[in-house]
Amino acid sequence: MITQEELAATNISMRYDLSPKRNIIGDLSGLLGNFSDELIGAFYPKNVSKKANIVITELVNNAVVNSTDGDSKVILEIMVNKDLLRIKVMNTAKRSQYRKVRDHIKMINSAGDLRTLLAETIRERRKDRLRGGLGLIRLAAENKFTLSVGYRAPYLTVDSQIGLGGLS
Amino acid sequence: MKVLAFGEIMDGGASVFSSVAKVDADLLIVSFGGSIRIDNPYRYLEQYLLELEQLLPPEKIGRIEFDFKELDFCNSNGFYIIMDITEMLINTIGGPILVKRLKGDDWQQETLPILLNVDEPEIEARTTFEEFTDI
Repeated sequence: MITQEELAATNISMRYDLSPKRNIIGDLSGLLGNFSDELIGAFYPKNVSKKANIVITELVNNAVVNSTDGDSKVILEIMVNKDLLRIKVMNTAKRSQYRKVRDHIKMINSAGDLRTLLAETIRERRKDRLRGGLGLIRLAAENKFTLSVGYRAPYLTVDSQIGLGGLS
Repeated sequence: MKVLAFGEIMDGGASVFSSVAKVDADLLIVSFGGSIRIDNPYRYLEQYLLELEQLLPPEKIGRIEFDFKELDFCNSNGFYIIMDITEMLINTIGGPILVKRLKGDDWQQETLPILLNVDEPEIEARTTFEEFTDI
Protein backbone atom coordinates (compact mmCIF):
# COMPACT_ATOMS: atom_id res chain seq x y z
CA MET A 1 0.00 0.00 0.00
CA ILE A 2 1.43 3.37 -0.99
CA THR A 3 1.84 5.92 1.79
CA GLN A 4 0.95 9.61 1.72
CA GLU A 5 4.66 10.43 1.95
CA GLU A 6 5.39 8.33 -1.15
CA LEU A 7 2.51 9.97 -3.04
CA ALA A 8 3.85 13.41 -2.12
CA ALA A 9 7.12 12.57 -3.86
CA THR A 10 5.43 12.23 -7.27
CA ASN A 11 6.99 14.25 -10.08
CA ILE A 12 4.41 16.15 -12.09
CA SER A 13 5.03 18.53 -14.95
CA MET A 14 2.49 20.10 -17.28
CA ARG A 15 2.64 22.64 -20.06
CA TYR A 16 -0.30 24.37 -21.68
CA ASP A 17 0.29 26.38 -24.79
CA LEU A 18 -2.79 28.23 -26.03
CA SER A 19 -3.06 30.31 -29.16
CA PRO A 20 -4.29 32.54 -30.62
CA LYS A 21 -4.88 34.49 -27.44
CA ARG A 22 -7.93 36.25 -28.91
CA ASN A 23 -9.81 32.92 -28.84
CA ILE A 24 -9.57 32.76 -25.05
CA ILE A 25 -13.00 34.03 -24.13
CA GLY A 26 -14.02 31.84 -21.18
CA ASP A 27 -12.62 31.53 -17.68
CA LEU A 28 -9.33 29.92 -18.70
CA SER A 29 -7.61 30.73 -15.41
CA GLY A 30 -10.42 29.03 -13.50
CA LEU A 31 -10.37 25.93 -15.71
CA LEU A 32 -6.61 25.51 -15.45
CA GLY A 33 -6.54 26.37 -11.75
CA ASN A 34 -9.29 23.93 -10.81
CA PHE A 35 -7.95 21.11 -12.96
CA SER A 36 -4.43 21.51 -11.58
CA ASP A 37 -5.85 21.62 -8.05
CA GLU A 38 -7.57 18.28 -8.67
CA LEU A 39 -4.58 16.68 -10.33
CA ILE A 40 -1.94 17.85 -7.87
CA GLY A 41 -4.37 17.14 -5.02
CA ALA A 42 -4.50 13.48 -6.09
CA PHE A 43 -0.87 13.17 -4.97
CA TYR A 44 -0.08 16.08 -2.67
CA PRO A 45 -1.88 17.54 0.36
CA LYS A 46 -4.67 20.04 -0.19
CA ASN A 47 -2.56 22.98 1.03
CA VAL A 48 -0.13 22.36 -1.86
CA SER A 49 -2.75 21.90 -4.60
CA LYS A 50 -4.68 24.94 -3.41
CA LYS A 51 -1.55 27.09 -3.60
CA ALA A 52 -1.14 25.95 -7.21
CA ASN A 53 -4.77 26.83 -7.92
CA ILE A 54 -4.38 30.37 -6.58
CA VAL A 55 -1.12 31.07 -8.43
CA ILE A 56 -2.44 29.69 -11.71
CA THR A 57 -5.66 31.67 -11.36
CA GLU A 58 -3.91 34.96 -10.64
CA LEU A 59 -1.05 34.61 -13.15
CA VAL A 60 -3.08 33.22 -16.06
CA ASN A 61 -5.70 35.89 -15.53
CA ASN A 62 -2.97 38.56 -15.62
CA ALA A 63 -1.51 37.00 -18.77
CA VAL A 64 -4.84 36.92 -20.61
CA VAL A 65 -5.77 40.46 -19.57
CA ASN A 66 -2.36 42.02 -20.30
CA SER A 67 -1.26 40.12 -23.40
CA THR A 68 -0.62 42.58 -26.20
CA ASP A 69 -1.00 40.43 -29.29
CA GLY A 70 -4.21 38.57 -30.16
CA ASP A 71 -2.30 36.16 -32.40
CA SER A 72 0.16 35.19 -29.69
CA LYS A 73 0.32 32.37 -27.14
CA VAL A 74 -0.43 32.18 -23.45
CA ILE A 75 1.82 29.54 -21.93
CA LEU A 76 1.55 27.91 -18.53
CA GLU A 77 4.19 25.59 -17.10
CA ILE A 78 3.68 23.69 -13.86
CA MET A 79 6.26 21.60 -12.08
CA VAL A 80 5.82 19.81 -8.78
CA ASN A 81 8.12 17.43 -6.98
CA LYS A 82 8.80 16.61 -3.36
CA ASP A 83 10.95 19.72 -2.96
CA LEU A 84 9.35 22.39 -5.08
CA LEU A 85 6.16 23.79 -6.61
CA ARG A 86 7.00 26.01 -9.57
CA ILE A 87 4.60 27.79 -11.89
CA LYS A 88 5.59 29.92 -14.87
CA VAL A 89 3.26 31.92 -17.06
CA MET A 90 4.24 33.59 -20.33
CA ASN A 91 2.43 36.17 -22.42
CA THR A 92 3.34 38.80 -24.96
CA ALA A 93 4.16 42.18 -23.51
CA LYS A 94 5.77 45.46 -24.43
CA ARG A 95 9.10 46.30 -22.85
CA SER A 96 7.36 49.05 -20.85
CA GLN A 97 4.97 46.45 -19.37
CA TYR A 98 7.92 44.28 -18.46
CA ARG A 99 9.59 47.19 -16.65
CA LYS A 100 6.39 47.84 -14.71
CA VAL A 101 6.08 44.19 -13.62
CA ARG A 102 9.80 44.03 -12.84
CA ASP A 103 9.58 47.10 -10.59
CA HIS A 104 6.45 45.76 -8.91
CA ILE A 105 8.12 42.42 -8.15
CA LYS A 106 11.27 44.20 -6.98
CA MET A 107 9.14 46.23 -4.58
CA ILE A 108 7.45 43.03 -3.29
CA ASN A 109 10.74 41.18 -2.87
CA SER A 110 12.32 44.06 -0.96
CA ALA A 111 9.36 44.61 1.37
CA GLY A 112 10.30 43.79 4.94
CA ASP A 113 6.76 43.02 6.05
CA LEU A 114 4.66 41.47 3.28
CA ARG A 115 1.51 41.31 5.38
CA THR A 116 1.63 45.06 6.00
CA LEU A 117 2.31 45.64 2.30
CA LEU A 118 -0.74 43.54 1.36
CA ALA A 119 -2.95 45.25 3.94
CA GLU A 120 -1.90 48.76 2.89
CA THR A 121 -2.23 47.97 -0.81
CA ILE A 122 -5.73 46.52 -0.38
CA ARG A 123 -6.91 49.55 1.63
CA GLU A 124 -5.28 52.04 -0.73
CA ARG A 125 -6.70 50.47 -3.89
CA ARG A 126 -10.12 49.92 -2.34
CA LYS A 127 -10.50 53.66 -1.73
CA ASP A 128 -10.48 54.23 -5.49
CA ARG A 129 -12.09 50.88 -6.30
CA LEU A 130 -9.08 50.03 -8.40
CA ARG A 131 -9.13 46.61 -9.99
CA GLY A 132 -6.04 44.45 -10.29
CA GLY A 133 -2.70 45.20 -8.68
CA LEU A 134 -3.20 42.78 -5.79
CA GLY A 135 -2.52 39.39 -7.35
CA LEU A 136 1.28 39.32 -7.20
CA ILE A 137 1.46 40.79 -3.69
CA ARG A 138 -1.07 38.22 -2.59
CA LEU A 139 0.99 35.36 -3.98
CA ALA A 140 4.01 36.48 -1.98
CA ALA A 141 2.27 37.60 1.23
CA GLU A 142 -0.51 35.06 1.51
CA ASN A 143 0.85 32.02 -0.30
CA LYS A 144 4.58 32.61 0.43
CA PHE A 145 5.77 32.28 -3.18
CA THR A 146 9.06 33.75 -4.38
CA LEU A 147 8.46 35.73 -7.55
CA SER A 148 10.71 36.73 -10.43
CA VAL A 149 10.17 38.05 -13.93
CA GLY A 150 12.05 37.79 -17.21
CA TYR A 151 11.62 39.23 -20.68
CA ARG A 152 12.63 37.81 -24.02
CA ALA A 153 10.80 39.91 -26.59
CA PRO A 154 7.95 39.63 -27.11
CA TYR A 155 7.32 37.24 -24.19
CA LEU A 156 7.20 38.19 -20.53
CA THR A 157 7.61 35.34 -18.04
CA VAL A 158 6.46 35.48 -14.45
CA ASP A 159 8.05 32.71 -12.42
CA SER A 160 6.73 31.73 -9.00
CA GLN A 161 8.11 29.06 -6.74
CA ILE A 162 7.82 27.74 -3.25
CA GLY A 163 9.82 25.06 -1.43
CA LEU A 164 7.65 22.22 -0.23
CA GLY A 165 9.80 21.28 2.73
CA GLY A 166 7.39 20.92 5.62
CA LEU A 167 4.32 21.56 3.48
CA SER A 168 3.76 18.20 1.85
CA MET B 1 -34.05 31.00 12.29
CA LYS B 2 -35.03 33.47 9.62
CA VAL B 3 -33.30 33.95 6.27
CA LEU B 4 -32.74 37.65 5.83
CA ALA B 5 -31.03 37.81 2.43
CA PHE B 6 -29.37 35.58 -0.12
CA GLY B 7 -26.83 36.38 -2.81
CA GLU B 8 -25.16 34.23 -5.43
CA ILE B 9 -22.86 34.29 -8.41
CA MET B 10 -23.93 32.30 -11.43
CA ASP B 11 -21.52 31.02 -14.05
CA GLY B 12 -22.56 29.01 -17.08
CA GLY B 13 -26.03 28.53 -15.63
CA ALA B 14 -24.78 27.13 -12.31
CA SER B 15 -24.38 28.72 -8.92
CA VAL B 16 -20.66 29.00 -8.12
CA PHE B 17 -20.81 31.19 -5.02
CA SER B 18 -23.50 31.92 -2.48
CA SER B 19 -23.88 33.88 0.71
CA VAL B 20 -26.80 33.61 3.12
CA ALA B 21 -27.61 35.94 6.01
CA LYS B 22 -29.79 34.40 8.73
CA VAL B 23 -31.06 35.70 12.03
CA ASP B 24 -31.42 33.43 15.05
CA ALA B 25 -32.66 35.40 18.09
CA ASP B 26 -29.91 38.01 18.69
CA LEU B 27 -27.39 36.26 16.41
CA LEU B 28 -26.75 37.17 12.77
CA ILE B 29 -25.12 34.33 10.84
CA VAL B 30 -23.59 35.15 7.47
CA SER B 31 -22.16 32.19 5.58
CA PHE B 32 -20.07 32.19 2.41
CA GLY B 33 -19.69 29.16 0.13
CA GLY B 34 -18.26 28.21 -3.25
CA SER B 35 -15.76 30.21 -5.28
CA ILE B 36 -15.37 33.85 -6.27
CA ARG B 37 -13.49 33.78 -9.55
CA ILE B 38 -15.17 36.32 -11.76
CA ASP B 39 -13.76 39.75 -12.61
CA ASN B 40 -16.64 41.76 -11.21
CA PRO B 41 -18.55 40.09 -8.36
CA TYR B 42 -20.57 43.30 -7.78
CA ARG B 43 -22.53 42.48 -10.90
CA TYR B 44 -24.14 39.66 -8.93
CA LEU B 45 -23.77 40.68 -5.29
CA GLU B 46 -24.50 44.41 -5.18
CA GLN B 47 -28.21 43.74 -4.72
CA TYR B 48 -27.49 41.32 -1.87
CA LEU B 49 -25.42 43.96 -0.12
CA LEU B 50 -28.21 46.52 -0.51
CA GLU B 51 -30.88 44.10 0.73
CA LEU B 52 -28.78 43.14 3.69
CA GLU B 53 -28.36 46.79 4.62
CA GLN B 54 -32.08 47.51 4.27
CA LEU B 55 -33.45 44.38 5.98
CA LEU B 56 -31.07 44.29 8.90
CA PRO B 57 -32.75 44.97 12.26
CA PRO B 58 -29.61 46.17 14.14
CA GLU B 59 -31.48 46.84 17.38
CA LYS B 60 -32.41 43.15 17.63
CA ILE B 61 -28.97 41.74 16.86
CA GLY B 62 -26.16 41.60 19.39
CA ARG B 63 -23.73 39.10 17.85
CA ILE B 64 -22.36 38.28 14.41
CA GLU B 65 -21.06 34.99 13.08
CA PHE B 66 -19.17 34.94 9.77
CA ASP B 67 -18.79 31.43 8.42
CA PHE B 68 -16.13 31.04 5.72
CA LYS B 69 -15.64 27.27 6.04
CA GLU B 70 -17.36 26.50 2.76
CA LEU B 71 -15.63 29.26 0.80
CA ASP B 72 -13.22 27.34 -1.41
CA PHE B 73 -11.64 30.15 -3.32
CA CYS B 74 -11.56 33.93 -3.56
CA ASN B 75 -9.58 35.70 -6.25
CA SER B 76 -8.22 39.18 -5.64
CA ASN B 77 -11.19 40.69 -7.49
CA GLY B 78 -13.41 39.29 -4.73
CA PHE B 79 -11.67 41.06 -1.86
CA TYR B 80 -13.67 44.31 -1.97
CA ILE B 81 -17.12 42.68 -1.91
CA ILE B 82 -16.15 40.57 1.11
CA MET B 83 -14.89 43.79 2.75
CA ASP B 84 -18.07 45.69 1.87
CA ILE B 85 -20.35 43.01 3.31
CA THR B 86 -18.41 42.41 6.52
CA GLU B 87 -17.57 46.08 7.14
CA MET B 88 -21.19 47.15 6.78
CA LEU B 89 -22.31 44.50 9.28
CA ILE B 90 -19.48 45.11 11.75
CA ASN B 91 -20.15 48.87 11.71
CA THR B 92 -23.93 48.51 11.97
CA ILE B 93 -24.02 45.86 14.68
CA GLY B 94 -22.09 46.13 17.92
CA GLY B 95 -21.11 43.13 19.98
CA PRO B 96 -18.93 40.10 19.50
CA ILE B 97 -17.89 38.71 16.13
CA LEU B 98 -17.17 35.03 15.64
CA VAL B 99 -15.29 34.05 12.47
CA LYS B 100 -15.33 30.40 11.45
CA ARG B 101 -12.50 29.57 9.09
CA LEU B 102 -10.28 26.75 7.82
CA LYS B 103 -6.94 26.12 9.46
CA GLY B 104 -5.21 25.00 6.25
CA ASP B 105 -6.42 27.74 3.91
CA ASP B 106 -3.84 30.45 3.18
CA TRP B 107 -6.46 33.03 2.21
CA GLN B 108 -8.56 32.48 5.32
CA GLN B 109 -5.51 32.56 7.58
CA GLU B 110 -3.50 35.40 6.04
CA THR B 111 -5.75 37.69 4.02
CA LEU B 112 -9.18 37.33 5.64
CA PRO B 113 -8.09 39.10 8.87
CA ILE B 114 -6.95 42.04 6.71
CA LEU B 115 -10.30 42.16 4.92
CA LEU B 116 -12.11 42.06 8.28
CA ASN B 117 -9.89 44.93 9.45
CA VAL B 118 -8.83 43.03 12.53
CA ASP B 119 -5.77 45.31 12.76
CA GLU B 120 -8.19 47.91 14.13
CA PRO B 121 -8.01 47.47 17.95
CA GLU B 122 -11.77 47.95 18.43
CA ILE B 123 -12.56 45.21 15.89
CA GLU B 124 -9.79 42.97 17.16
CA ALA B 125 -11.24 43.16 20.68
CA ARG B 126 -14.63 42.01 19.40
CA THR B 127 -13.37 39.24 17.12
CA THR B 128 -12.74 35.57 17.87
CA PHE B 129 -11.55 33.08 15.25
CA GLU B 130 -12.72 29.50 15.42
CA GLU B 131 -10.49 27.16 13.42
CA PHE B 132 -11.74 24.15 11.48
CA THR B 133 -9.91 21.40 9.61
CA ASP B 134 -10.56 21.06 5.89
CA ILE B 135 -11.55 17.48 5.07
